[in-house]
This record gives sequence, structure tokens and C-alpha cells, in this order.
Amino acid sequence: MQAVKAQRSEFERQALAHVDALYGAAYRLTRNPRDAEDLVQDSLLRAYRFWDSFQQNSNCKAWLLRIVTNTFINEYQRRKRSREVLDAATAEQEATDGVLVHAAANDKQSPEGALLAHSVSDDVQRALDQLPDDFRTAVILCDMQGLSYKEIAEIMECPVGTVMSRLFRGRKLLASALREFALAEGYLKPTATTKIDADDRTIDLEKYRAARATREGSR
Amino acid sequence: MTICESIDTLAMAYLDDELAGEERRELELHLTECTGCRARFDDERAEHAMIERVLAAPPAPDLLRARIGRALDSEDAAHDRAARARRSRWVLPGASILAAVAAIAVFVGVRPVHERDPGAVAAEAIHQQMRNLPLEVRGPNTGPWLRANFEPNVEPPQVEEPGTQLVGARLLPHGINGHDGAMLAYQINLNGSPFVLSVLIVRDVRDDEMADGDAVQVNGRTMHVVQADGQVMVTVVAKHMGYMFMAPELSTNELVWLVGRTTLVGAVW
Repeated sequence: MQAVKAQRSEFERQALAHVDALYGAAYRLTRNPRDAEDLVQDSLLRAYRFWDSFQQNSNCKAWLLRIVTNTFINEYQRRKRSREVLDAATAEQEATDGVLVHAAANDKQSPEGALLAHSVSDDVQRALDQLPDDFRTAVILCDMQGLSYKEIAEIMECPVGTVMSRLFRGRKLLASALREFALAEGYLKPTATTKIDADDRTIDLEKYRAARATREGSR
Repeated sequence: MTICESIDTLAMAYLDDELAGEERRELELHLTECTGCRARFDDERAEHAMIERVLAAPPAPDLLRARIGRALDSEDAAHDRAARARRSRWVLPGASILAAVAAIAVFVGVRPVHERDPGAVAAEAIHQQMRNLPLEVRGPNTGPWLRANFEPNVEPPQVEEPGTQLVGARLLPHGINGHDGAMLAYQINLNGSPFVLSVLIVRDVRDDEMADGDAVQVNGRTMHVVQADGQVMVTVVAKHMGYMFMAPELSTNELVWLVGRTTLVGAVW
């Protein structure tokens, strides 16, 4: 009994310190506050059950994010698909009587502020929606959670090189989607800058390092 | 591969803090000399900053924290139940006295229970408990009633067994050996079968007054196991209040376990 108590307080000290970070990741992965809460709770419960297997001294946040990511892939995607069918039915209803309610809710903030906040977060969610899951996950783990390429590679079970190319393409897609929304909404003026196609660029740190080592050797 | 040829890779790894010290310095030097790479690098840095900014998410709601706490509580409770089910299998159906004694010795570290003088307070308590007087209060009012009619600083013991219900209480009209007393009745579901647990509370008890029987330590709490009239009773003294637990359907081991997990509100263990 004492051992259980000690384990609980150790878990609370180490793991629950990351609730905000986990919720942030879940919020961006699920793109829905309700699913994000469920995902965090399920993941932490799972983490608690398997706390024995967590290697002390390793990065607890990375370990927890791995559980969040896996839980999301295994369960939430499936659940989301089945719910979309239901949501389509209710959306039709809300389309007719929900417009007024929505407008009233937004009026509570300053009108411009509400409009801006609403559009920007909407754009982020729509832009994230457009990303393939692997790209989105890599970008969230890196740019939101600050994990290293190696930690992301372990979570996503792929080589570091793959992480880098997913990150690169994910960021380009996200940036260009956001730019399109910003242009469409008039936040950004079209400029003459030519868009460079991400597909034309290669990301390969190992190749650069190999070439560099050869140069050093021949010097 | 020159730096110019690898600028996308290097800019990204630099901004993600993945370059080694020497690689960083080379790139920084190159950027002071090459305007083309400098422009690409600045674009990457702006994009990087923009993405970090838009991804920022709200903090976890307080309700979520509370939900997580509750989920962990029920996980702990499920864990305890599973552990107990394993223990109970040793001593429950058809087990001989010998097996019961062995199990107690192993799991709670107690000497075998002997039929012996239970002490005056306990003997009287058992006698009183066996007279089936009706309850004076039932349901959720039991706690307030106990404070108003018996002792303002005492709460009904909290039995930490899921599905436990405090049924009601009554005062003991003649007290127990000169002490005021009250009896509480609980209904408990253990391993799927409901049974009654009665708890007698008596006031102004010295620690040594209920130290008859065999001393047992559970969770650092001292309790005594006594037997009289074929009934097993577990006694605890806390803050000058004496508590006596009886549940004929339980084995001694289970009763000791149950009391070990019961919180005596307003008392210090």
C-alpha cells in the first residue's frame, strides 16, 4: 500500500508537471478541445499503469508525448471517423439555427478582437487539417514541444533523416496554407516573391556531414 | 555538398539547434559572406517563428486536472481490489483454520488468534452489538446526528471500500462500562457479496483500556484483534475515542485489512 502511495506521488511530481504541454500537443493533434481532454486523460492513465517501465533519468516529457501520439494514432483517428458521420447530420441542423447563437457568443469580446482571434485560430486548424498526419505530428513535436530530432525519431519510429524531411515539408505546407488564408482574408498583401516549391529541395544533413568530413580529411 | 548547396538543411538544423558547435560557426561565418544564403536563412527564420507562434495552444483546463486526479484514484482503487482478491483467495472458502492462521501470519504479521479474555470493554461491546436494537437515524443525516447527539468532534469512520454505504446509527442507551457509546451500521460489498459491518464508538477511552487481544500493525496503525462469544472484533483507540469493528461474514484477515484502510475522521492515526 505504501509502495502504491510512493509511486503515485512520484508520478504526480514527474508526469503531471507536463499536463499543459500534453494538452497543447493533444489540442493540436485532435484539433478539438473535447477530444484533447480525453486524449490527455487516457494517455496519463496509461502512463500511470506503465510507470514501472519509464526509465528514470530519461526525458519524461518525451516519454509521455510518445504515449499521447500513439494513443492518438490508435484510437482517436478511428473514433473521429465514426463521429464525423454523426456530426454531418447535426451540422445540417446547426447550419440553420446556429448562426445567431455563434454571432452572439463572439459579441462578448471586442468585435474586432473576436473576429481576428476567431479567424486566426480557425486558419491554424484548417491549415493543420490539410497536413498529412506524419507531417503534423513531426511539426507539433518539434515546434511546439521542443523535442530533438532524435527524440522525435524514437517516438515516430523512423530515422532522423525522415524526421527532418517530414518537418521541412510539414512546415512549408503549413506556412503556405496559412499564407493563403492570410491573403484570402486580406491580412497579407500579395508580394512579388516567387514561391519556392518544397519538393524541389532536398533535406539531408548526413550527406552534408559526409561531404564535410571528406573536405576536412583532404585539407 | 557545399554550404550553399545545403542551405535549406543547414538553416533548418541551425534553427532547431541540431548543429554541432563547429558546424554552427561555419554557417554563421558563411552567412556574413553570402547574400543568397543569408536571404534564404532569414526566410526560414521568419517562417520558423511564425509557426511556433500560431501553434501556441491554451493551457490545460482546471477541470481536466481534477478529472485526471479522479482517474488516478480509481486506478489505485482497482489496483487495491485486485491485490485484495489475490489475498482473499488464500483464506476464504473452505480454508482450514491452519490456512487462515498462516495467511494472517504472512500478510499482516500477527500471531495466531486465541480465544481468551477479551477485556471488559470489548466483551460488553460484543454483548451489546448482539442485541438487535433498531437504528435511531438512517441515511445521509447520520453524520450530523452523531455530532449532535453523541460527540461534536467525531465523524462516522470512512470505510474506503467502493460501494460502502453508511446505513445508520443509534446510541447505546446504557453506554459500555461507564463510557458513552454509539453504534454505526454499514453495508459493504466485498467481492460481490453484501454484508453488514458494525462499528461501536465509545468516548473517553485510555489507550490501554482496549489493548486486550493480539496487537496488529497495518499501515503503521496499531489495532487489536479480540475474540469473544465466537465473534471476532478489531479495536482501535484514536484521540481518546475507542472504535470496535465487527463483521461476522469476514475472515479475521479481511476485517483487519478493512479497518487498516478506514479513515477515522477527527482522529489522528
